[in-house]
Amino acid sequence: MGSAAAYVGGGVELVLRRNPEVATLIDLSRCGLGRIVKTAEALSLGAQVTLAAISRNGDVKAYAGGSLAYLAGHIAHNNLRNMITIGGAIGRNQPWNDIVPHLIALGAYVEIQDDQERVMPLSDFIRQREPGTLILGVRLPLVNADLHGFLWRFTRTQQDISLLHCSALIGVQESVVSAATIVYAGRPGGTVLYPKVAAELIGRPVKAETFLHAGGVAAQAVEVGDDLRASGSYRRELVRAAMVRLGEEMAGVAQ
Amino acid sequence: MRVSITINAVQCLLEIEPGDILLDVLRREGYVEVKGDCHTGDCGACTVLLDGKPVASCLMLAAKADGHAVTTVRGIGDQRHPHALQKAFVHNGAIQCGYCIPGAITSAKALLDENPEPTREDIRLAMDGNYCRCTGYEQQIEAVLEAARELREGGFR
Repeated sequence: MGSAAAYVGGGVELVLRRNPEVATLIDLSRCGLGRIVKTAEALSLGAQVTLAAISRNGDVKAYAGGSLAYLAGHIAHNNLRNMITIGGAIGRNQPWNDIVPHLIALGAYVEIQDDQERVMPLSDFIRQREPGTLILGVRLPLVNADLHGFLWRFTRTQQDISLLHCSALIGVQESVVSAATIVYAGRPGGTVLYPKVAAELIGRPVKAETFLHAGGVAAQAVEVGDDLRASGSYRRELVRAAMVRLGEEMAGVAQ
Repeated sequence: MRVSITINAVQCLLEIEPGDILLDVLRREGYVEVKGDCHTGDCGACTVLLDGKPVASCLMLAAKADGHAVTTVRGIGDQRHPHALQKAFVHNGAIQCGYCIPGAITSAKALLDENPEPTREDIRLAMDGNYCRCTGYEQQIEAVLEAARELREGGFR
């Protein structure tokens, strides 16, 4: 888009946080970015697909146990779920965002356009922050479709900002963890992958002790801090508790 | 700029500024049944249907509604021809001050259009953006359940 142009939407943020420096606004809503398409390799979500549409889509409900569909149907509130787009959530990536950490845990890629069309891991895109790019959509690789997506938002109310967010993608073969991705967010701060915690799960049996042990490792590894919502020490206990919850959920999946 | 918005089934050609908010445009054009309160998308008082989906009109640029259909609570029913939901809200004591009710009815209408037999949980989720500080929410849930039942049985329009 060049140095004079920038991606500023989602429309919700656009109205809430108006920027007087924006002289010309280009609406992308008729660019065909509002579709969910399943291909041989991936489930593609266009940048302008809303959370409500994601929550109702059968392919998304079937993907990784339906964790993304559940999240998209239970955060913010119904009016906003009809307005918030996945492109807007990624483009703004506010610190309280729950969509981005879960997408990263699911191994999502982002389709972007600057001088050319590219696909890159969403985790890299978030880390590199490329404001001059246009977000076309998200790809969820089908190779992860049969794994189990997990998310745990610890909030005071459903619509509140997470005190802590934990997302995971877990594979199980013969009651042993065969693959794991662990993400924490809202510590406070953005999304961070924790391969060290994931490594504590892989190759171990799906038992409470495995996740209790990983919780201890996570409590050491995950950087947490204080803000007006919770203290760092409280969040550290939540980090540990998230792994216990993951273990409880996986015990049900493995049976 | 000129936009064409179908409001309550009537096509309207409106002169707006690019930065105008849909809520403000609707009220300026006389649709004062759409209420403004928080102006941050939190309270649900400004809910309208955009192509049948409930949205917060306080967070939407009016230009984004160009070429689309907007339904306010008046387009659902009025005092002379109330909708089953409006009757049920009155019957169940789900209205006190009434300020939030246009938004609540609008959200409930979208739900019943999509799901004629909702559970309590379906109703809670569909109306989780409509705050009410008078009645509490139980009466509203009862009202939506009653309206759904009446609509299924053909008792109301």
